[in-house]
Amino acid sequence: MSSRRSRSRQSTGSRITDDQIIDLVSKLQQLIPELRGRRSDKVSASKVLQETCNYIRNLHREVDGLSDRLSQLLASTETDSDQAAIIRSLIME
Amino acid sequence: MASFIPNLESAPDTCPEFKRRKRRTTDEKPASFHSHQRNQRIKRWRTQREQHIYSSKLIQALRRSRRTSSAAKEVHETADIVLAVLAKGTTRWSKAILTARKMARHKKAKVAANTRLRKPAVSREKRKTPVVQRKLKVLGRLVPGCRKLSFPNLLEETSDYIAALEMQVRAMTAITEFLAGSGPQPPADRLASNVNS
Repeated sequence: MSSRRSRSRQSTGSRITDDQIIDLVSKLQQLIPELRGRRSDKVSASKVLQETCNYIRNLHREVDGLSDRLSQLLASTETDSDQAAIIRSLIME
Repeated sequence: MASFIPNLESAPDTCPEFKRRKRRTTDEKPASFHSHQRNQRIKRWRTQREQHIYSSKLIQALRRSRRTSSAAKEVHETADIVLAVLAKGTTRWSKAILTARKMARHKKAKVAANTRLRKPAVSREKRKTPVVQRKLKVLGRLVPGCRKLSFPNLLEETSDYIAALEMQVRAMTAITEFLAGSGPQPPADRLASNVNS
């Protein structure tokens, strides 16, 4: 391997062999539920990366939805407590 | 945290493959130690204990911010911040989340991503195809603070980030079910009891 690369494709200028890519990609594959069972030689690197991106986006979306529900639940309980406080104060009067 | 293959990024004169083999015989311990540490950290996200700690911290944070605002966006931000705090600042994504929050607090405008990227030319040593390169960039944008990471580091961050996100989903789902299932009860007591459990 030469040292010509002062500016490689990646800004860090790291030198990565194909073997290493294959190894890292297969490690990543194990993290993705969709691809976990499949043999690494049957799934291409680009597919693994694509599925990883999709999976992260899905997780983000799930958290978005959960945040939405949580905010509603918290708001409704807060309203209840506010209303309860108002009612309580009215009754006390 | 150092990448578990630091040599590949710093020694331009030696063949990386040779270096790797050499490291395996002479530097075996440090490499496997880092890798072990990383795996332990990732496994932590999958424990019940971590989830409980996260849940209680999140509920505390939500209670504190409840008076100011409880919009979905704030809840999501709070959830991310608590997640980043739990990561104990060893990962890039967690640092990026906490930094972003600090910057937002000081009302700095969000710096637009520097898109002056070099077009991936077909070099003589074609290590990766442009397709993989493109997908790597997309992945780098999805994981906070990881736009310019090398492939190994990016995957390292991604592994940890995915494990953390999965825990976040589990925890928030449990909290939501808990709050929804309890019905209209005095909220302070309910949340307090969850924090204390």
